[in-house]
Amino acid sequence: MDSDEHNGADERTQQRQRLRSAGAHLRDTVDRWAFTAFGLGTLVLLIVVFYYPVATVFIEAVVVDGQATLSVFVEILQDPFYFGELARLFSGESPLAVASDLLSSDRRLGIVGFTAYQAFLSTVVSVVLGVPAAYLLARYEFPGRRTLRSLTILPFVLPSIMVGVGFVATFGESGPLNSALSAIGLPTLDFMFTLKAIVIAHAFYNAPLVARITTAAWESVDASAVETARSLGASPFRAFRDVVAPQLYPAVLMGAALTFVFTFGTFPIVLALGGFKFATVEVFVYRLVQDLDYAEAAGLAIIELAISLSILYAYLRYEARQSMDSRGAQPLSRKPLRPPSLSARSLLPRAGLAVYALVAFVVFVLPLVSMIVASFTDAGGFTFSNYQFLLERQAEGAAFQVQPWPAVRNSLLFGLGSLAVALPVGVVVAVLTTRDFRGRKVVDAAAMAPLSVSGVIVGIGVLRGLVFGVELGETRIAVGGALAIVAAHAVAGYPFVVRTVAPGLENLDEQLVESARALGASRTRALLDIELPLVWPGVVAGAAFAFAISIGEFSSTVILATGTDQFTMPIAIERFIGRRLGPATAMGVVLLLVTSASFVVIDRLGGEHRGL
Amino acid sequence: MRRRRVLTALGTGAVAAVAGCIGDGDDSEDGGDNGTPESSETATPEATPEDNETATPEGTDEETEDSGSTTDGEAPTLTIGTYSAFLDAPSISPGGWLKEQFESEYDATIEWEAPENEINHYIERQSQGVSIDADLYVGINTDELVRIDEKLDDSLFIEAGEIPGSDNIRDGLSFDPSGRALPFDTGYVSPVYDSTQMEAPETFEGLLDEKYKGSLIAQNPGTSTTGRAFLLHTIDHFGEDSYLDFWSDLQDNGVQILGSWSDAYTAWEEGEAPMVVSYSTDQVFAEQAGDDLAKHQIQFLNDEGYANPEGMTIFNGADDPGLAREFMSFVLQPDIQGEIAKQNVAFPATDDATLPDGYNKLAKEPSNPVTLSYEQLQGSLEDWIEAWERQFISN
Repeated sequence: MDSDEHNGADERTQQRQRLRSAGAHLRDTVDRWAFTAFGLGTLVLLIVVFYYPVATVFIEAVVVDGQATLSVFVEILQDPFYFGELARLFSGESPLAVASDLLSSDRRLGIVGFTAYQAFLSTVVSVVLGVPAAYLLARYEFPGRRTLRSLTILPFVLPSIMVGVGFVATFGESGPLNSALSAIGLPTLDFMFTLKAIVIAHAFYNAPLVARITTAAWESVDASAVETARSLGASPFRAFRDVVAPQLYPAVLMGAALTFVFTFGTFPIVLALGGFKFATVEVFVYRLVQDLDYAEAAGLAIIELAISLSILYAYLRYEARQSMDSRGAQPLSRKPLRPPSLSARSLLPRAGLAVYALVAFVVFVLPLVSMIVASFTDAGGFTFSNYQFLLERQAEGAAFQVQPWPAVRNSLLFGLGSLAVALPVGVVVAVLTTRDFRGRKVVDAAAMAPLSVSGVIVGIGVLRGLVFGVELGETRIAVGGALAIVAAHAVAGYPFVVRTVAPGLENLDEQLVESARALGASRTRALLDIELPLVWPGVVAGAAFAFAISIGEFSSTVILATGTDQFTMPIAIERFIGRRLGPATAMGVVLLLVTSASFVVIDRLGGEHRGL
Repeated sequence: MRRRRVLTALGTGAVAAVAGCIGDGDDSEDGGDNGTPESSETATPEATPEDNETATPEGTDEETEDSGSTTDGEAPTLTIGTYSAFLDAPSISPGGWLKEQFESEYDATIEWEAPENEINHYIERQSQGVSIDADLYVGINTDELVRIDEKLDDSLFIEAGEIPGSDNIRDGLSFDPSGRALPFDTGYVSPVYDSTQMEAPETFEGLLDEKYKGSLIAQNPGTSTTGRAFLLHTIDHFGEDSYLDFWSDLQDNGVQILGSWSDAYTAWEEGEAPMVVSYSTDQVFAEQAGDDLAKHQIQFLNDEGYANPEGMTIFNGADDPGLAREFMSFVLQPDIQGEIAKQNVAFPATDDATLPDGYNKLAKEPSNPVTLSYEQLQGSLEDWIEAWERQFISN
């Protein structure tokens, strides 16, 4: 446009064009600035409530007595207790000797190896139990489908004490499962104190995650692509394999990667159902922090984080390679659950789903029912006394005690507040990390860190970095209270929004956005009016997760709260535990009900996406 | 379009939240949990009506009578840190009663605080150079005191000095050689068993009998008080050179180690094993819940129970150590001792406590209480636990 050439006849047109492009340029600048400013705000938020607090603890692993050192890591890596046979590799033994010993039957995995092993098993089982649920929810129509879909992630928010109670009651020697098995003459299951118990409890928590993410992806599959494939002569199976499945793999693998990360950092449930012989890395991080051995605790947690982040990074590299152009939008139509005909083709998948439903009932529904039953039971049978306690505490509780209603109210307010922050932050981070720039997957992986850092370490970091604050000159700047809690929850929840929104954005046909831009839409407008509606199921799923994370969050909340009047439902549950669990289970049921209702509302507000 | 508006609104919300939380920090620059009006409110029955004008936020309901601030008046405030169950757990929480009693006798207000990390919270404050607002801590035990003295250079607590009533503390319960912490109650850790399912062994060695295979559930000594007490009891009984051999045999006999007392007790109640490491006061709760007492029998191994005395101690830097000492003396009074024991479902620390008749019928005391002393734990505790962990995992 800076040509000096004069052409009398075109002068005006050119001028107009110049003006128009200057206007577009200005709008672009503002737009880019808005994006950049929001991105910077996000970064500041992350640094203040996450990276800095965590750093105040992690530093102890590399600075011991004022000296920078790697000795803490060397010691952990060379300790067979943690690394099993691999420790010998780190101690300089020949890789061949170590490899051959690793293949022998009496190999030692060490704590880290065992933690990875059980996380791997848990991931496999979670995927096996999660994907059929996604198939059911995305492909079939039946009464209550939407409610069921919104309730899928309910297990995600439950405190481990509740899950422990539910699982022992369900799968224990005198539980309904074993009673049913022995009633029909089958051998009973030896479930408690085994690795099975841990893996199934992990699936209880994480299969819903796999299911929800996969459902969102399945609902975003474009039906017209399938129709095209079919019209070109592809069999239904072929159309599924070539068109649908490739769009599901990333979602399933993402669910798997997140499950691995979560179960790798698992803690109380392992000791509640399996016992100390199945202790994981996080058990030792917790114990070391208790004993104030911060150097070793931080070293161990950093190793834990490195392993988790490399799994996530590997997934993200895969996700980037999967990129395909999709114009999204016309979802596949759902089939009725009642078989339309008695042909094998319509009966077989439905029979499969019936078997799955039975398994799902045992794994997901029975423990929940057992929790509710436990809250209504004491030695004498049926009782309301636990709920009576909640009412009494509400009426007569002192200021230093946790009261049920403020806990419910706070949970909801913090949940909504953090949703309001996590959603835009997650979307912006998703947009930024789906742009092309070198090392973006590294940035993406780092943005996922809040999912992977040891919860125990985050707790101490929040105490040091925020509640204690920093001394600047004469004043100490500290952070606490409701807004800090909301910020901490948002930081914990936004990675889910990124993960459920980014794959869809990445797969969108770039031409869609480019056409919108050519027609004069700003970048923000293109995002809000074109891109987000096309990936809407992912946005709603991300919102549900962000809310769930906030409802379930414990360690930062209890530390940032400035008084019992800022406590939430999980804290109330923990504080009501005395020498009888009844009152805590009643509060757990309250959490269950409040959360269920919230999920249904979020899902309804999110709307059923029907494409453009 | 509608969606767009929503998202814009959410966007500004986020910015406001960031700004808000930083601003919030400025307000409480003392860095404490106590600077906010909400937490300094206390239920003071005697407060005058005029005091009630301080706004009560909605939600802290009317039942907390009034929220008069007494800080500007003559009545001093005693801030006491403790563990949360002392205040909040319905089955064992004498905190509220203790506050009422003290305030009715003294012209002072008690303000409870129960940080999540318990005593570690204060250790952390001290080591990070952040001031401690609490005057006293209630609920410290021997191994915590050992840990504090090992990790902190400067003393976290001051000596209790001459406390009236401390002469009546029972022999063997005082656990602080430097006289900072005074015990106010004690529990005993022992196996609890279902006598409709088994006949309990009488000795530690008996636990190794084939017929008790898989019968016992205990807790992780690294993370649970009862688990730690049981491990220390075995060290006391077998000595530090042999306890690991006993544990190796016990593990071969199928002992299950769960994470917390509630994990273990839940599994036990569901019948996963007939015996669990718990408290010798178990029947008190069982009777309250209407349980069959035959299913809640106490077995003191070798007639011993491991004592876990809980202490109270004054923070170095307490505003009014004199008042704190008055509180300690108050807690050691016979009637208060009896009531704390009752409400905390434990045993008094003094020998002249007033207990209801027949208290010992359900709350059992061992004929030989044992406990490892501060000196015995010092320098060894962590190593013992770590050695146990490593052996248990590798077996």
